[in-house]
Amino acid sequence: MNEKHEILAQRSHKVIYKDGDTVLKVFDSDFSKADILNEALNQARIEETGLNVPKLLEVSKIDGKWAIRTEYIPGKTLAQLMEENPDKLDEYLDLFVNIQKEIFSKQAPLLNKIKDKFNRKISASRFDATTRYELHTRLDSMKDHKKICHGDFTPSNIIITPDGARARLSSEENSNAGDTNETEATNSNALAEYYILDWSHVTQGNAAADAARTYMLFCLKGMDEVAEKYLNLFCKKTDTAKQYVQRWMPIVACTQSVKGKESEQDFLERWVNVVEYE
Amino acid sequence: MQQNTYLVDSVEALERKISEVRKAQEAFSEYTQERVDQIFRAAALAANKARLTLAKDAVEETGMGVVEDKVIKNNYAAEYIYNAYKDTKTCGVIEEDNAAGIVKIAEPIGVVAAVIPTTNPTSTAIFKCLISLKTRNGIIISPHPRAKKSTIDAAKLILDAAVKAGAPENIIAWIDVPSLDMTNTLMKEADIILATGGPGMVKAAYSSGKPALGVGAGNTPAIIDESADIVLAVNSIIHSKTFDNGMICASEQSVHVHSSIYDRVKAEFAYRGCYFLKPDELNKVRKTIIINGSLNAKIVGQSAYKIAQLSGVDVPESTKVLIGEVTSVDISEEFAHEKLSPVLAMYKFDTVEEAFANAEQLIADGGYGHTSSIYINELTRANVLAEFMERMKTCRIVVNTPSSQGGIGDIYNFKLTPSLTLGCGSWGGNSIHENVGVKHLLNIKTVAKRRNNMLWFRAPEKVYMKQGCLSVALDELGSVMNKKKAFIVTDSFLYANGYTKPIEQKLDELGIMHTTFSEVAPDPTLACAKMGAKLMESFKPDVIIAVGGGSPMDAAKIMWVLYEHPEVDFEDMAMRFMDIRKRVYTFPHMGDKAYFIAIPTSAGTGSEVTPFAVITDEQSGIKYPLADYELLPDMAIVDADMMMNAPKGLTSASGIDAVSHALEAYASVMATDYTDGLALQALKVLFEYLPKAYESAVTGVPNKEAREKMANAATMAGMAFANAFLGVMHSMAHKLGAFHHIPHGVANALMMNEVLMFNAKEAPAKMGTFPQYDHPHTLRRYAEVAETLGITGADDNEKLQNLLDRITALKEEIGIKPTIRDYVPDEEAFLSTLDEMSEQAFDDQCTGANPRYPLISEIKQMYLNAYYGEHKDV
Repeated sequence: MNEKHEILAQRSHKVIYKDGDTVLKVFDSDFSKADILNEALNQARIEETGLNVPKLLEVSKIDGKWAIRTEYIPGKTLAQLMEENPDKLDEYLDLFVNIQKEIFSKQAPLLNKIKDKFNRKISASRFDATTRYELHTRLDSMKDHKKICHGDFTPSNIIITPDGARARLSSEENSNAGDTNETEATNSNALAEYYILDWSHVTQGNAAADAARTYMLFCLKGMDEVAEKYLNLFCKKTDTAKQYVQRWMPIVACTQSVKGKESEQDFLERWVNVVEYE
Repeated sequence: MQQNTYLVDSVEALERKISEVRKAQEAFSEYTQERVDQIFRAAALAANKARLTLAKDAVEETGMGVVEDKVIKNNYAAEYIYNAYKDTKTCGVIEEDNAAGIVKIAEPIGVVAAVIPTTNPTSTAIFKCLISLKTRNGIIISPHPRAKKSTIDAAKLILDAAVKAGAPENIIAWIDVPSLDMTNTLMKEADIILATGGPGMVKAAYSSGKPALGVGAGNTPAIIDESADIVLAVNSIIHSKTFDNGMICASEQSVHVHSSIYDRVKAEFAYRGCYFLKPDELNKVRKTIIINGSLNAKIVGQSAYKIAQLSGVDVPESTKVLIGEVTSVDISEEFAHEKLSPVLAMYKFDTVEEAFANAEQLIADGGYGHTSSIYINELTRANVLAEFMERMKTCRIVVNTPSSQGGIGDIYNFKLTPSLTLGCGSWGGNSIHENVGVKHLLNIKTVAKRRNNMLWFRAPEKVYMKQGCLSVALDELGSVMNKKKAFIVTDSFLYANGYTKPIEQKLDELGIMHTTFSEVAPDPTLACAKMGAKLMESFKPDVIIAVGGGSPMDAAKIMWVLYEHPEVDFEDMAMRFMDIRKRVYTFPHMGDKAYFIAIPTSAGTGSEVTPFAVITDEQSGIKYPLADYELLPDMAIVDADMMMNAPKGLTSASGIDAVSHALEAYASVMATDYTDGLALQALKVLFEYLPKAYESAVTGVPNKEAREKMANAATMAGMAFANAFLGVMHSMAHKLGAFHHIPHGVANALMMNEVLMFNAKEAPAKMGTFPQYDHPHTLRRYAEVAETLGITGADDNEKLQNLLDRITALKEEIGIKPTIRDYVPDEEAFLSTLDEMSEQAFDDQCTGANPRYPLISEIKQMYLNAYYGEHKDV
């Protein structure tokens, strides 16, 4: 890559460049080829659902490194907007939950299943056998749904285009995390006002698990108040009982711990160390 | 043994172990009760001896609970369970009632999958192993990883003791290195699951596809009513809540105190060492005990002091219970959850309604079906207690009792089954609602041997006979019964012709007031009966005298019913039944207002001695056939003087009706030696004297002997069918009469030969259902009738044929024509009603006692045969 490529972001195993009106995600040479291809495949599958996502353009090798090229979407992330306009937080959260509902209203039957992924993560975690047993048992008892779960649904993964700064989703009546509601989303949004980025963690499964993860991600950033607001809004808009989402929290905390971020471990351990009633 | 030496640490090893346990269990299933009881005893003794070691192991391994309390649990699991079941029969025949013909045989279920929780690992293992041994089941334990060592130790020592006492090797086994995969495999392959654990495990058990005895969460509220003994209540709750640091699932989670005693209750709690959290401390504890709506694993089974420390709250080390005074029962309130620790929520209430509504909410959110508790004065507040009992959706409701020790049974109440696995009913998603015991681990076979249904013989308390007896019989109305008012029911013909005169004279003589209702028409209507009843209501008789043939007697019975019970519903009373003793409708008691006397004026209907009456609702056209022994007259007076001048049509129709009663009663599936004697004697008399009586009616020359013989025979036939009931001949005659206006007796006569041939079939399409009717034997019964009448034949078939010929001859002698067509010449009219008639005849009350259960198509063919007089085989 050369200097004409503006670096948009630098992550632990990848660098993201802007290349004209495209984005190029270049992975480290030791990054799993399978994971890269899976990410591209996920992206393609999501594209087919009609959700507003940057289009996948190319998977290639650049200087011996695997790279994924997608459309570039101009605009600010919802996270930036939230930071810039704290007075509009409620408005943005409302949009945020509506977008998540929109995702839940879609299906992509060939995606990996969230329970399979979580079971693997629990097994790979550093918790003792007893705790893993509890978590496996808890996960086993959860309902199997087929909703698209983004897997990293945070405001930083939503881009609001300049035209769409006042974006709203009109539909309120779509998905419901508490049940398999197949209502078709009414937001076709031909003039895309928002785009959802980063589909590398997407799976299909129970929406409450994805909501629990979003809640946790807010908490991990120290945004406890936003987290509470988000959860209450999510439960209200999807007519879901709060404890239904809460039942997933020890599980998502465990899967998060596998990422191995030292700073998060104490927090996550506290969330994981709970028991079911007897 | 070699097979004991490997670890069960994989699904493959588990599969191998399961097959070993299965083999052991097969051998165990052959053991006698005596050997099983020896093993049960040895195992209980071994468990009891190890109570302290096991308790120490469990506390050390899990870091939860109190050694001294776990000793009690282990001791309880061994001793109370042994004591409760030591004499219980669990092997082979456990119950036998030869008179009733019932045997109950207990068999083991097979292999039990036992999921054991961390909270009570050793005691639950002891409990489940003991009840499995007592029921000859094999058991494989899936311990919780946190408590696997102590759970396995308990199972192992029971196995050793059991094997030493003679149990097969491998009758108890366990998973050494637990995993969800293995637990799920075990549950799928076992024959029954005894799951104790959290909702996840219980759900896994229920989705395994095997029957599961799962139990769920508790969230016991304890109400302290204003009438409660405060010292007893508070100390009971502390005693229960501190037991094993609050890990019993029946333990109190919240206490609800009436405002009038709130301060005293609080003072007592404080006095006994409980700590009331200050507002800021309350929040700290809230955040510590519940994380994201789930219970913090670190506080389970810990002391109040340790939990306070974890929360950053300073309390004395001796603190027994941390009490949070809260108001919300919503699940967003951490204190409203099950806490499995000595942490208690306390609510104040002003009204019982408020307290009960709160308790209901807490139960619905966290302890559906488990346990609830109340402290109350049982005697003075019985109505409040009753409401509590009615409202709480919990399978155990303990009163003035520590709920931990109370819920497991046999400690504070000795009729509550001792158990460490408590069913929560469908509310808790469980298959059982009670405390689990040995009966849940048995398949009990019930052997039902054929027994005869009890039969009976019932007749009026007084049946008077002999020509001229009327006047003497009525004497006792005055001399014995002291009756004051008589109501006579008859028809206009009999009244006009002076049939009631001698009765009225006699009543005058006795000084009994009387009135006569003489407007009964044939096929009496409800309107007529109501009119009579209305007159009765104003006249208020204490004796009713029915004079006449079937119609006045039936009408009088209905008036009697309406007079005694004006509220009755005829549709209910007339509901068809299979067994008169098991009918849904209970007939009202008769005779409270009036004594009922029946005086027949024709020889045939038998109504004077039967429990039957038929009435027609003239508005809807519905005929209500009523049958109940309450309708049996109290007295029948059979006086041939009343029949001497009966006309020929009446004589023949009612006479042949009596023949049909005797024939059907004799063939009935309910016939007894008692009714047989009456029926045969009646038939003998009827065949001899009916032609003579008929002749007397034709010639006008009175024949006293024939009339008296006929009178007695008709009443005897009535007694026979009053007890043995009738059959399909009457079913068909009823409809023939109703659709084509043929006199009842004649209608029976027209169907008689067809029905006899039909019933006599040795291989009918279907036979009647009644215990004593063991095979189609009606041909023999008719042959017996023939023999009684002196009819001979080479075999039963010939005897039947000769009997049929004799019947045909009799009908001819008394002027009854041979076919239905003779009475219903309009063939089209007959055929157009045939299907409906056949269906209704099938559904007639009389069909039930018939020895051959008729198909509708068969009834139709019989009608056709009887119509054309051409017999086609049915």
